[in-house]
Amino acid sequence: MSGKITNSTPLARQERTFLRFSVGQRWEHAILLLTGLVLLLTGLPQKYRELSISQDLLSNPGQIFLIRQTHHIAAIVLSLLVMVHLARILILMSRRSLPGDLLPTGQDLRDAWHMLQYLLFMRKDKPKFGRYNFEQKVTYWFVFFGIALMGISGFIVWFPVQATQFLPGGVVPAAKLAHSTESVVMAVFIVIWHIYHVHIERLNLSIFTGHLSEKEMRDFHEKEYERLTNRPEEGK
Amino acid sequence: MTPKTFHRQVFWLTAAGILVLLISIFFAVSPVNAKPPFQETEKYCLTCHGDSTLSMTLPSGETLSLYVAQDDLDHSLHSIVGIECEACHNNISEYPHPKTEFETKRDLSLAYYQTCEKCHSVNYEKTQDSMHAQAAAAGNANAPVCTDCHGSHDVSPSNEPRSRISVTCAKCHTEIVEPYRQSVHGAALMKDENPDVPVCTTCHGVHNIQDPRTNQFRVDQPEMCAGCHADQNLMDKYGLSADVYNIYKRSWHGVDVSVYKAKWPTIWHDSAVCSDCHGIHDIRATGDPASMVNKENLLATCQKCHPSAGPNWTDAWTGHNEISLERTPFLFYVEKFYGSFTPFILWGCVIYVILQIIRSTVDRVRSNRS
Repeated sequence: MSGKITNSTPLARQERTFLRFSVGQRWEHAILLLTGLVLLLTGLPQKYRELSISQDLLSNPGQIFLIRQTHHIAAIVLSLLVMVHLARILILMSRRSLPGDLLPTGQDLRDAWHMLQYLLFMRKDKPKFGRYNFEQKVTYWFVFFGIALMGISGFIVWFPVQATQFLPGGVVPAAKLAHSTESVVMAVFIVIWHIYHVHIERLNLSIFTGHLSEKEMRDFHEKEYERLTNRPEEGK
Repeated sequence: MTPKTFHRQVFWLTAAGILVLLISIFFAVSPVNAKPPFQETEKYCLTCHGDSTLSMTLPSGETLSLYVAQDDLDHSLHSIVGIECEACHNNISEYPHPKTEFETKRDLSLAYYQTCEKCHSVNYEKTQDSMHAQAAAAGNANAPVCTDCHGSHDVSPSNEPRSRISVTCAKCHTEIVEPYRQSVHGAALMKDENPDVPVCTTCHGVHNIQDPRTNQFRVDQPEMCAGCHADQNLMDKYGLSADVYNIYKRSWHGVDVSVYKAKWPTIWHDSAVCSDCHGIHDIRATGDPASMVNKENLLATCQKCHPSAGPNWTDAWTGHNEISLERTPFLFYVEKFYGSFTPFILWGCVIYVILQIIRSTVDRVRSNRS
């Protein structure tokens, strides 16, 4: 499982799978999914408190306390996750071994333009993607900055007195509005954009299994597939 | 005399008789309605009680004056409509009077005020639910009864002039009247007889005055203040904003209070209501240097609940103001940003995904055909 191509027997060529996400990355996604869901479910009743379902959830002062406590605990777990993620990036960078696959490039803009032409029936062929296509990069960076914003604004509204020791007071109500609005923007983005791409367009469970099949690699990450399969040591 | 003339005479005589009868009825009836009702017993009673030296000594040693001034009765609402002494002094109908059994003057008041109920049963019932009745039930003989506020022989409109209401309450509530007199409300009332500012009874109620220290009173307070401060016409008259209540309701404090009000009005909570920041009887105009919410004093007011708040803290409070570039720039830009970012993300995602669905469906149909 350590190599990128995990099968060596030529007979089972059609069963070849490609490692896409390491175990650590899969755990990261699982924790992100769980904490994000908890944060959303405990945050929405506070935002839309006039809805009857929120009223049921917040049926007594103890419940309010519980929901806030849960929100805070999930926030701490997610913050730790973010730190682990950033620490990993820093360590890889210091070793000069951070893969740059996720960084946005000019090719992504050309791919997006190509895709748009394809979607509007102006071209017949889909763009060929590398390890991460521009849609996946948009997802990563949208969530990356979204979490950064939610984290910063969340801690400001959680500790407003401490925050205003060194920040101007005006950031507190601004953080509250940003936290409240960004949460919904992120939820909308995840539900429409991400869920479509990983469930409806095709069921892509690689973030849980860690692997893509050879066909998936050929269909959706052709450049990466070619890069991997045409490596000299693989030579057929 | 022919029968014809006889009949004509009878007709005229009858007509004249009817006319005289009608006129005399008119004169007999109308003066009774025009004059004040006839006060039979009042005049009779005052033959003795009109003596200003008339008095008796009660078992408590107090001297009870038995003098009733004609002047008081002339200004009384009751006397001029014909309500007589025995309407209230209903145990006295003859002379010599039955022996009184009142130990003190207060006993006498506490006994006689109950006759108010005969006519004013609705307000009387209300007072029985009041904070004052509770104090009386707890053994405070000085808890006010009808006559303490309205007077007895000189009962007259309690709100003429309007400031009289507050003067009446001040008879007992001496510590509250002074801050009130200096407040923005009290000054306008006491100096100018302002018709709009709240007098004591505006906030506390009239006959069924409740304890203002309860949780229920606390959570009801913003709505009470909104009674005037959300009234556009009234606020325009004084150049004040009528949005303060609506904006408060969306604030951190207001949300907490509204949740508690809706669900647990009897559970105490610390989120600020109007009086926590503006004061209670001593509310000042926000520009007044003595106002608790004046820029100079605001931090100290916040620190009552947020003790470790620093000098930047007061800017975190947006006041009761809409978002504006000058006052709340951070909030302004965040709102502006999301005003376009939110629809951009929403519609961007929706359109992109719909295009993908259309394109992939067309591709699938085409490849099935071929």
